[in-house]
Amino acid sequence: MIAMPTEGRDRRSLSFLARFVGLLIVFYFLVAWRPINDAVIVPFTAAIASVSGAILNVLGERVTVAGTEIRAPTFAVNIENGCNGIETVLLFGAAVLAFPASAPRRALGFAVGFLSIQTLNLLRVVSLFWVGEHHPAFFSSSHTVVWQSVVVLFGVLLFLAWALWRPAGRPSPVRSTRRKG
Amino acid sequence: MIGTAVPRTPGRAAVRLAIGFLIGVAFWIALSPPYERTLAAGAETLLRWTEWPAVTRLEARRGEILVERADFPPAAPRPGLPAADIHFNFVILVALFALASKPWRGEWLGRFALAAGLLWFVHVVALVFQVRSVYATALGPWSAAHYGSISRNFWAGGFHFYQIAGRFAAPLAIWWPFAGIERSERAQEGGRRRQRRKTETSLRVVP
Repeated sequence: MIAMPTEGRDRRSLSFLARFVGLLIVFYFLVAWRPINDAVIVPFTAAIASVSGAILNVLGERVTVAGTEIRAPTFAVNIENGCNGIETVLLFGAAVLAFPASAPRRALGFAVGFLSIQTLNLLRVVSLFWVGEHHPAFFSSSHTVVWQSVVVLFGVLLFLAWALWRPAGRPSPVRSTRRKG
Repeated sequence: MIGTAVPRTPGRAAVRLAIGFLIGVAFWIALSPPYERTLAAGAETLLRWTEWPAVTRLEARRGEILVERADFPPAAPRPGLPAADIHFNFVILVALFALASKPWRGEWLGRFALAAGLLWFVHVVALVFQVRSVYATALGPWSAAHYGSISRNFWAGGFHFYQIAGRFAAPLAIWWPFAGIERSERAQEGGRRRQRRKTETSLRVVP
């Protein structure tokens, strides 16, 4: 435990921000690079479409899936970058890596965060398809404002929970001011 | 690093985020039309400063930013850019500021206003990149004649970055320093109180 002056804490906060933005740019270039996009991102997005299609069929929607497209007789969606949950995973991953923590804790946080974000994203794709098919007037606002914001805020919430969480017996990263002696 | 602008329990944070999200959506719906007019005006000014001759005009209309150039053929269709994709992240900013314990305090609202101003500037720059990426990639032979490979990649890549990462990260990056400031000032306030009690204190941080 160390006592830090206010300036030092603010510097750490800004240093976190600089690392976060830097990592985000690096991650962006990685996923936007065509070989990685074609070999990883597109197949991953197709897998999301496939699982979402299976869930929709279980729910009685009678859809077919081709690549990243989910199609029903009256409605179809194409899952693109920005709708596959990768953007929130990038955000969460950059924040977890930028935050001071041990490697195992980061790895655990990233794994749990990735699975949680992708689970929520599946719910998003399924519900958006259902809205688009049955209430098309609400599709645009649900897609742009509601679900994008919800998934990102979920990622932020996961990061805050991870950052504040400590294994039993260890103190929290930041403790409230208290008397000494 | 994480201050008192954030609740100590995830459950409480989730409730505040949800309330902030609903408030943000209400404000976003109510303010979008005038907000888009300010975005169009700001981006048009920036575009006209950086082009010669200054021919671009932007007009906000029914959720779209219409791109008008004085040198477009009169019969040609005008590109319409969806405005909500650029500025929906205002909702995220409101939700993050709602994490604070008393977000309605005047001081905190002042910080929110400053953060919203910063986000407005981010939106203006994003719109400039979007218009430029349309010019560079979507106007066929005209694009090829006026934009080389480097500038095409710069404008289109810049807007793609905003679409994939920037628009989600911007509210978090803008909010984070404010949250830190909140914590620091609370700590200072607590320190002054304790000094009055003439007791030795320290802020303990586990790295």
